[in-house]
Amino acid sequence: MITEVLLALVLGVVVYVLLLKGKQETLQTEDGWWGIGEPTQIPEDESIQPFRIETSSEEIQDLHRRIDQTRTFPSLEDSQFNYGFNSCYLQKVISYWRNEFDWKKQVEKLNRYPHYKTKIEGIDIHFVHVRPRGLPDGTATIPLLMVHGWPGSFYEFYGILPLLTEPSSPDDIVFEVVCPSLPGYGFSEAPYKKGFNSVCAARLFHKLMKRLGFNQFYAHGGDWGWLVTTNMAQLEPKTIKGLHLNFAPPSKPSLPMMLSIMLGSRFPKLFGFTEHDLKRLFPYMDKVLVESLKETGYMHIQATKPDTVGRALNDSPVGLAAYILEKFSTWTDPEFRNMEDGGLERKFSLEDLLTNVMIYWTTGSIISSMRFYKENFGKGLDEPHSKIPVYVPTALASFPNELMHSPKLWVKQKYHKLISFTPMARGGHFAAMEEPELLAKDIQNFIKILENRKMK
Amino acid sequence: TQRLETLSNLEPPRSHLLAASVVGFGGLLACYVACRRKTKAIPMGNGWWGRGQKPLAEEDERIHHFEVKTSDEEIQDLYKRIDQTRYTDPLEDARFHYGFNSTYLRKVVSYWRNEFDWKKQVKVLNKYPHFKTKIEGLDVHFIHVRPPNPPEGQRVRALMLVHGWPGSFFEFYKIIPLLTERKDGLVFEVICPSIPGYGYSEAPHKQGFSGIDAARIFLKLMERLGFSEFYLQGGDWGALVTTVMAQMKPECVRGLHLNFCMARRRGLSMMLSLMIGPYLPFLVGFTREDVKRLFPFMERNVYELLRETGYMHIQATKPDTAGCGVNSSPVGLASYLLEKFSTWTDFKNRDLEDGGLERKFTLDDLLTNVMIYWTTGTIVTSMRFYKENMNRNVQNRLDFMNEVYVPTGVAAFPNELMHCPRSWASLQYKNIRSYSYMARGGHFAAFEEPQLLADDIRQFVKQVEKP
Repeated sequence: MITEVLLALVLGVVVYVLLLKGKQETLQTEDGWWGIGEPTQIPEDESIQPFRIETSSEEIQDLHRRIDQTRTFPSLEDSQFNYGFNSCYLQKVISYWRNEFDWKKQVEKLNRYPHYKTKIEGIDIHFVHVRPRGLPDGTATIPLLMVHGWPGSFYEFYGILPLLTEPSSPDDIVFEVVCPSLPGYGFSEAPYKKGFNSVCAARLFHKLMKRLGFNQFYAHGGDWGWLVTTNMAQLEPKTIKGLHLNFAPPSKPSLPMMLSIMLGSRFPKLFGFTEHDLKRLFPYMDKVLVESLKETGYMHIQATKPDTVGRALNDSPVGLAAYILEKFSTWTDPEFRNMEDGGLERKFSLEDLLTNVMIYWTTGSIISSMRFYKENFGKGLDEPHSKIPVYVPTALASFPNELMHSPKLWVKQKYHKLISFTPMARGGHFAAMEEPELLAKDIQNFIKILENRKMK
Repeated sequence: TQRLETLSNLEPPRSHLLAASVVGFGGLLACYVACRRKTKAIPMGNGWWGRGQKPLAEEDERIHHFEVKTSDEEIQDLYKRIDQTRYTDPLEDARFHYGFNSTYLRKVVSYWRNEFDWKKQVKVLNKYPHFKTKIEGLDVHFIHVRPPNPPEGQRVRALMLVHGWPGSFFEFYKIIPLLTERKDGLVFEVICPSIPGYGYSEAPHKQGFSGIDAARIFLKLMERLGFSEFYLQGGDWGALVTTVMAQMKPECVRGLHLNFCMARRRGLSMMLSLMIGPYLPFLVGFTREDVKRLFPFMERNVYELLRETGYMHIQATKPDTAGCGVNSSPVGLASYLLEKFSTWTDFKNRDLEDGGLERKFTLDDLLTNVMIYWTTGTIVTSMRFYKENMNRNVQNRLDFMNEVYVPTGVAAFPNELMHCPRSWASLQYKNIRSYSYMARGGHFAAFEEPQLLADDIRQFVKQVEKP
């Protein structure tokens, strides 16, 4: 009797495991409509319109006037960047912005790549589409979608675009790149209805790529781009040939993760922890929990009261710059908090940083960009997409100063086909803008592995 | 020896009784000694917050008259900035769930631009006498209101009211007349200071200025004004500052009245009361009203607080960044501050298109408070107070670890951010003489329900002074 029961149990477990392995869950979603009022009856205009960024003297005069009206307040003695953006250094930024920064020149730089807009689910989606030039006929190009995050924009990719579309080495793959703006960010229209979260953005971007004629493509993302491209892989795994990320925090706690937190410092080899993992994660309270608390105030207020916190930032360009540039300082290296100038110009030029800020300023999109936090966190962290794993071949470029460090073990909990995990030599959260060569190289290596596999 | 023999010859019940009473007496003595040790005040310490190095000369202790002033330039500048506002439309049907609704904001701003009269409001502010005096390197501002008809032979009790964020001394303008009038044999003279960094009080130039330092400065202020004995009242940060004042100099504080009580975490006992409370409230010292206000716990306390403490999180970590934009945009400042006057008065206000703001407050009053932050440019420094008070070692801070033995009164308003039952409050406040469930009102008690609060203060003082 007992043996029969035991056998049945074992058989049951085997069948269950097999079934579980075979079943690959995809994320479900439904169409939405985000325009004003009720959806229009006529079929949506699916044309793709070329778009040029423009500016005017009025826009620049208005900016200068507001900059001149700023009422700054002195930082406490010797506080560097520990209370937020330091007022002394802010004066330098203001002075540069007012007297040397040339927005007209930057707009020309932005327009060097072709921009387009197309209406999807009721709102205009903006994107940059870079086709490689001067290629001999018959060269296949590999389509790559690159999605930005907050407080970034498509402009973050301007440094890496040449390395991907016109690589110097003949062995390198030549990509055809599409960089959209998330709805509510920059030149993409903001949704008028509540509920526009990362899954909706993922669905919209799938429609965009189909409209452009791509049935299969690679995707890259960091910050919100990580989540949107991950959702895209969960929605249509067959369409995403490969997913490359520079940011991959765990979406839900799992047993191996918990065990590794408790025992990882004592038995690192058991969990595959490297020295860098240990340095970043332990002692856990200090390095992870307290650090997160110190740096997530913005996330907490944006996820609850985006319209309130963004209100002043849409009137005061200096306020907006301080708010955004603080992230470019601290998220590039947390040690920058102890510097009088926040270490900003060590890795970025003020020209690039302010161009990104101007994209938020001239489009007045700071509030709608913040709403994305509420839409994604408002219902809690238990959304369906956080529970479904990813089966698409994935690569993670793990930068040493990334906001949230994820060791290989944790990444594998969600990304079941982790092909490549590269600890990068240097760099922080804004990888594409800070270390474009390193990131491009990792993307190249990853896609080469996948393409070679396909050829075999 | 005869005595001893008598003792040992006692019959068992009597000897047991004697033994028990000896033990009892010994126990009481031990308790008394232990309590005596605890009643020690927390040390006052010292500080200096001015610019640069502390000068060798003695501090100028004079008290100067101060008058709130404005100018045409100030008002024109305000109007110019208001006219430049770049609004963003709210999401359809968002009401106040995403923060201050921009459609209603336009109405408020229109009133501010076209009907609000700041010159008139400055006259209102100046109807009470203002003063400034230098303490620990900072100019401390306060108003001092004596009763208009000093009663003969009757003691006038001194009462200090301390404000919080995003309030100011102005919150007390409605309750002051109710306290300085003679009623039921009780009359008060009222002092309302501004916390350094708020309104007309100078902001600290050094890091580390917390509620403990504010408490010490206000004690020095009372001393300088010649008061050896006084009452205290506070809500929001005012509750922390007045509590610390009572811990530092219990001999001076005749009574402490609070309309805001943050339950200090005492671990096990609170956990138990949370688990057993909904089912057997009386067992853990909860009344039916407590249960109504506390449960369902997760929803009312954890989720609600998470939804409403984003501002606290960013102000406690990056105050200079958070305040930068709001210091240049009056509409941004108004929306940031007035959102609190909406939501903290009643959480249900988030479901209203207009946030229910004008149900309990007038736009004139609300905007006067905003103007105090605007004209003094103190929003950044007011936010820094959060960072200074919420650093890592807050659990080891003196005021957290020590109890309060001064007679205390608590006015528990139904729509306060978080309800604190008497059983939790008594974990820290060991001498609660009065605990009242107020009929209506939220976080800004003095501003919203001045009569109810004034009545409760009076009945508390009566309790304290009962022979």
